[in-house]
Amino acid sequence: MMSHYESPPSAGTAPLSEDPLLRSARREALVVGVTWVCAMSWSVGYCAWFGYGRSIDGLTFVWGIPDWVFWGIVAPWLACIAFSFFFGARFMGDDDLGRDDGANDEPSGAGA
Amino acid sequence: MTGVHGLLLAAAANSARGVADFGTVAALVLFILASMWIGVLANRAMQSGSFMKGFFLGNRGLGAWALALTATVQSGGTFMGFPSLVYTHGWVVALWIASYMVVPITGFGVLGKRLAQLSRKTGAITVPDLFRERFGSPALGLAASLCILFYMSFMMVAQFKAGAVVMKHSWPGAGPLAFTEEVAAGEFDRAYFMGLAIFTITVVGYTALGGFLAAVWTDLFQSVMMFVGVLALLGLVLAQVGSVEEATRLATTQTGPGFAFGPGFDPSRAGHEFLPVGLAFSFFFVWVFSGLGSPAGLVRIMASKSTGTIRRSIYLLSSYNAFIYIPLIVVCICGRTIIPDLPPGKTDEIIPRLAIATTRALPCGSFLAGLILAAPFGAVMATVSSFLVVIASGLVRDVYQRFLNPAASPDQLRWMSHAVMVVVGLIAVLANLKPVAYLQAIVVFSGTGSAATFCVPALMLAYWRRATVPGVLASMFAGGGTVLTCYVVGVSNGLLGWFTRQSIGNLTGFHPYFPGGLDPLVWALGISLAAGIVVSLRTTPPDALLVSRLFDAAPPEPPTDAH
Repeated sequence: MMSHYESPPSAGTAPLSEDPLLRSARREALVVGVTWVCAMSWSVGYCAWFGYGRSIDGLTFVWGIPDWVFWGIVAPWLACIAFSFFFGARFMGDDDLGRDDGANDEPSGAGA
Repeated sequence: MTGVHGLLLAAAANSARGVADFGTVAALVLFILASMWIGVLANRAMQSGSFMKGFFLGNRGLGAWALALTATVQSGGTFMGFPSLVYTHGWVVALWIASYMVVPITGFGVLGKRLAQLSRKTGAITVPDLFRERFGSPALGLAASLCILFYMSFMMVAQFKAGAVVMKHSWPGAGPLAFTEEVAAGEFDRAYFMGLAIFTITVVGYTALGGFLAAVWTDLFQSVMMFVGVLALLGLVLAQVGSVEEATRLATTQTGPGFAFGPGFDPSRAGHEFLPVGLAFSFFFVWVFSGLGSPAGLVRIMASKSTGTIRRSIYLLSSYNAFIYIPLIVVCICGRTIIPDLPPGKTDEIIPRLAIATTRALPCGSFLAGLILAAPFGAVMATVSSFLVVIASGLVRDVYQRFLNPAASPDQLRWMSHAVMVVVGLIAVLANLKPVAYLQAIVVFSGTGSAATFCVPALMLAYWRRATVPGVLASMFAGGGTVLTCYVVGVSNGLLGWFTRQSIGNLTGFHPYFPGGLDPLVWALGISLAAGIVVSLRTTPPDALLVSRLFDAAPPEPPTDAH
């Protein structure tokens, strides 16, 4: 696999560094992926364990909601909202999106 | 005077019977007029600058509220298909939809920044544009465009039915305008067709007028109406049933213990499991990746103003989703005790029926019912308008302008965009002359199909330097083909009885084959990823200059002499 560092854009120029937005976007995407796996594991795991194959006699309610729905879905949902606030307001960085090249009524040229 | 007296008598009779009244239709008419007015405003706002960028991308000016609340996560399915599932199967549907807790953060956090940046670097206006420019391949752009048209057409046709059904239920139910009587099979359902006509004229009208901005602004307005409508309905049903716990206990005595637990109540009582654990696991893929790979969602990210907009959208949408879906579940659980006897084919109508039933005793109840009905109506209009923009942009920008008439003038492009929207609307009407069945099943098919086709290619586009055109094409067709094959096998098996039908999932004939008990999307994503990687690595590496321009920091400006 050819690295971009092995193929400088033109002879005689120094290798270019990776776009900082790309680096931060990749880091944030990884954190989001971990969040997704955690939410899925908790919700599906908890509900499979406590919400399937039970008798109606043992059912209890939290705020009117069946216990397994509350702890398996509502509680992690609230936790995800809190995490989203942290992620959006604190963790995710601001980056310059760059200027808008082209985008007029003419079809633009192929990426050059 | 006699006519007015007759209408007043009819209104009183409707109120007593709990059917829609003139107030209901008046509220919806006001809502429709407001949507048209927004279309006119959007038309004025996009007059400056390029027609294409204004009409199809809103000049990249979306703010956080607009981006968050218009990401088209709510649709006809939210207020028709999803409530129908809760009404039918009970609390387990909360697990079916639970992945919406992470949909905002995955939808904006994985691809948001990078797509917004790449679309600016390449000047792309549409999703196919972005594929074409990122890889320098018109064939890839055309393939993306055709795939989008295929999946979105399915989804949009299903939405028209939902819009027509809401209008049908808002018609006054007695006297000379008595449209809402139940229609026997084979009879002409004039309320439905009136609803279909009004819905189509409204949504095609304002979208053709204001393009992307009209779709976004009306979407924003409609999202607020949905929020108000859902919370109002929650208050009304809770006032009727007393408490959610009481409603659950009563519903389980009417149905069975399955209504309170997984895998859900089986109305056929034939051992059908709506949501076994394997499918519950699958739906954490289905909704997350449907959001990530939705072309309508991707194009809105491309239109965002800045990274700050994307950041704020994450927590705004996250809160909004919780206030829509959790209350909707409670509303429909309570709805099972308020209207316990909806037959299987009518459960899609639980929200409109609840709106009318719970407001009948209130002062101005029918007008309030209309405001609540504006929520599902708005959700459907918002989805259709955004899909109309994406489909029109696909045909006009990616087919007509690229291949048929590259020298088209702005006036020709404008005319062609309007014509395409009208033709697409007419096709949707024709497809709904016999109303489509399985609304929610079609929503799931369209969502999983486009997710299987676009998720991995979009990740390759954004993050992998070594991705090649053949690799991306292989990934697209392997993913989309897997989902399509599972649906063809499942539906054909239902018709021809090749092997024992899997008794899981939606109780519909539009039913995929679930390999290993998992949704086809789970397999499709894996196959798409493998195909993309293997084919990319076995084909010629992409042009280093093109990749460097899109992946590397811009070289520092050469020093200038300060004289």
